[in-house]
Amino acid sequence: MISLYPYFAFAKKSFLGRSAYRFDHFMGILNTILRIFIFWEIYRALYGGRAEVDGVTITMVATNFILSLGLDSVFCVNDYYLPNRIQDGSIATEMLLPVNFHGRMLADNLGNALFQLLFHFVPAVAISVIFIGIAAPADPLMLILFFLSALFGYGVLWTISFVAQMLSFWLINVWSIMTIKNVFINVLSGSMIPLWFMPDWMSGIIRFTPFSSIYFTPVQIYLGQLSLSEILQGFLIQLFWIVFLFSAGMFLWKKGQKKLVVQGG
Amino acid sequence: MSFIEVNEVSKTFRVSKRSAGIPGMLANLVVPKYEKKRAVNNISFSIEQGEMVGFIGPNGAGKSTTIKMLSGILYPDTGSVRVNGYIPYRQRKEYVGSIGVVFGQKSQLQWDLPVIDSFELLKAIYRVPDEVYQKNLKRFMDMLDMSGFINHPVRQLSLGQRMRADIVAALLHSPQIVFFDEPTIGVDVVGKETIRNFICELNAKDKVTMLFTTHDMQDIEKTCKRLIIIDKGSKVYDGLLSGIRDAYGTTRQVDVEFAQDCTVLPIEHVEIKELDFPSGRKKRFLFESREVQIDSLMNSLLADYAIRDLTVSEPEIEGLIRKIYNGEVAQ
Repeated sequence: MISLYPYFAFAKKSFLGRSAYRFDHFMGILNTILRIFIFWEIYRALYGGRAEVDGVTITMVATNFILSLGLDSVFCVNDYYLPNRIQDGSIATEMLLPVNFHGRMLADNLGNALFQLLFHFVPAVAISVIFIGIAAPADPLMLILFFLSALFGYGVLWTISFVAQMLSFWLINVWSIMTIKNVFINVLSGSMIPLWFMPDWMSGIIRFTPFSSIYFTPVQIYLGQLSLSEILQGFLIQLFWIVFLFSAGMFLWKKGQKKLVVQGG
Repeated sequence: MSFIEVNEVSKTFRVSKRSAGIPGMLANLVVPKYEKKRAVNNISFSIEQGEMVGFIGPNGAGKSTTIKMLSGILYPDTGSVRVNGYIPYRQRKEYVGSIGVVFGQKSQLQWDLPVIDSFELLKAIYRVPDEVYQKNLKRFMDMLDMSGFINHPVRQLSLGQRMRADIVAALLHSPQIVFFDEPTIGVDVVGKETIRNFICELNAKDKVTMLFTTHDMQDIEKTCKRLIIIDKGSKVYDGLLSGIRDAYGTTRQVDVEFAQDCTVLPIEHVEIKELDFPSGRKKRFLFESREVQIDSLMNSLLADYAIRDLTVSEPEIEGLIRKIYNGEVAQ
């Protein structure tokens, strides 16, 4: 039987650890708010006073940015969790703990995410909503489904990072891989350019990547743009990516352990 | 079937090889070159429950690699390891709960947190029952004299303090087997003594099985009866510590202080060294015990010269080990 108790301890530790750097935390909130405002102002200028472009209202754009950048602040996966440990050799002491490494990694990230949800997402979204405004959720059910879909979105984002981190067994330094990965996520997930504005051929391709199911699927559900069967389809796509990417990551983990070189004596 | 069973284990690493400077860097960028380094070469040994074994060898001999294979971190390329019925690297998660490992060069503690917080976290990870935890903590803290810094953040500890905290961290869950990888590195004389006594007591009272690597021979002499020496990945000695002298320590040394300056005529099979140059009052005589009888040497010295003081000594273990490392003795 897998006991969850040690994992709670890890999550709690990372949750409590976050409160250590207060100034950094407040700056982080400011950063999220600034990003939302900057994108909002850019699109307001692009709209040039029109209420709607190609059937996309300015409120929808605002909602997209507030929700996806808000979630982005919660979804702060530490891409260098494994790479750092491989690089400085502390992977050795890590492997001495009687827990699943991926479970420990996830617990650590979830503790962090919970802290961010309560003390970063909530104030940043509240301030943005007060000054910019946001579309109301389509109905209460959609709001619940939005959170569920956001949870799966986190799963997709986490498993992408999980796979990328495993490459550090072979490459040791994965900075460039992570940067490329993050560019893909930023551009293709809709957190920079709402996917409504992508040309049809491109959004057709994006639909087959895991990126659109991170933020854009939850946002579409929130706005009530998807029918129930489309929502179900969206969930299945998210789950598919989670299972697929996680299996790939575990495969690499098993292979990587045999390749492991403990650096530094 | 022994408690710890290591069977013809080998491990090879790929080491990046690059010539110096910018040309070397460019060449490496296009066609990287690697060479294989055999860290551990066909090592076998077994250890019984409750034994305390010293595991030594020069830098790069493969000690740490062996320890890492024993503790489930690294996979051996060939051969097998079995500890307490587990295959460490295959059953890592289940296995590591029953062992403790101290890496002198790597800390298990949380850098930013007070020592006690790290201990609490380990308690949760290993699911140590509260009474066991309190009992172990109190006992270890007394033995290692830790009450002064238990609430300090790890980053503010001295190396000796950190090492003691790390040792306790590895033992809180009462492991049956403990691997020490240089637990006294960089620790002062007093600290070393405390750690050695602690290790001895743990082995004597709790019957903890231990493997102990170090570069300080005194660590071994004060703690272990049995010694395994490896060099360049291969085992060169496995036996009692006292057996080292019998096997390799055949050199005898006689230091003589003469009543006045004198020159000693050469003696067959005996090497003579001046200890108090340029005066000739103190000399050292080195010889192999099988080639020269000590009593006949003494007799001839006493008969021919006026001697004020004289000491006969066996070679030190440390000197013998050095010879083994240097390949000066037949193995």
